[in-house]
Amino acid sequence: MRFQDAARDARAVVYAGIQADPLVARLAALAADATYAQRLMARAVMNGESTGPETWRRIFPTVFVAGAPDLERAEALLAASLEVAERGEQVRSQFRGAFVESLAQVLVARRAGAAAVRRERRVLFDGVASEIHPYDLTVEKAGREEAWDCKWGARGINADVLNQLDDARRHASGEEHALRVGLIVFDVRTSCAVRLSQQTAPRQGTAVVTLETLDALAGRKPGPG
Amino acid sequence: MPEPARAGDLLATTLAALGVLADLGETIEDEWTYVTKLTEMGRARLHAAVPDPGALVPAEIASAIDTLADEAGRITDPHRAIDWLSTLPAIAELALGGGTAGVPPNQPAGGA
Repeated sequence: MRFQDAARDARAVVYAGIQADPLVARLAALAADATYAQRLMARAVMNGESTGPETWRRIFPTVFVAGAPDLERAEALLAASLEVAERGEQVRSQFRGAFVESLAQVLVARRAGAAAVRRERRVLFDGVASEIHPYDLTVEKAGREEAWDCKWGARGINADVLNQLDDARRHASGEEHALRVGLIVFDVRTSCAVRLSQQTAPRQGTAVVTLETLDALAGRKPGPG
Repeated sequence: MPEPARAGDLLATTLAALGVLADLGETIEDEWTYVTKLTEMGRARLHAAVPDPGALVPAEIASAIDTLADEAGRITDPHRAIDWLSTLPAIAELALGGGTAGVPPNQPAGGA
């Protein structure tokens, strides 16, 4: 088993510009230490229609009430999320995807070390044709390799991605490597469960990390609220 | 600014908003089953968040639910409606206290 940079097509070059936008990194840094409620707020804002902050402060009274935990982070996360919401639908969608990948990278790096975490990489196996789509995130540390795909919402869970992840896990096993594979979904657990219940593709060996359990990526238990 | 409201009224408001999103989401034929199941789960989650429909809840929670329903009502794109179907029950649950809405202050919300 070995890892390789994915070849860049035109779409990848355009998307790389989104990934490199400072707003994506700022959002990821803020969300990495946010509470569940703050992350839920960010998801709602980036998927919402209203771009006035007062609307969102009203919808999330427990996040924005005077004396709420880490109010400064909540306000900064709201402001950054609104910057995404103010973009056109297509760009907004790209920003959301890049944000989830960046957030995942920050969290996984805390557990695995930044040097081991790579983006947009393929996993190659002897005698097996390489997959068309690279993995959003890989951990390339001998004996502790991982491959993750990141999704903004539960609707992104489909047979193709489940099959690709399971194939990689099985091929690695065939080469006597334990490759941890999984999905990181910036959506609530119940929606992911409903989506997964519709799938017939193998998923028993695939981890699913949701909005409620993101902190596990960093090797820590979910925080309160 | 709304006044304190009955938890059951806020539940009705949220269920209605969920219904509007479901109707919109169901127009994506390929997602009909997902939308239907998601709506069913969302309804159950909302009912669980309001153990006592007759109890009064504070004005800021009433305002949160009314504003949330307004925001959901602004969604016109069916794909975004499906995304909102996923998120709305969790937001309402958070505002309603995750099953504590309507529980009198002198009564534990749950747990030992």
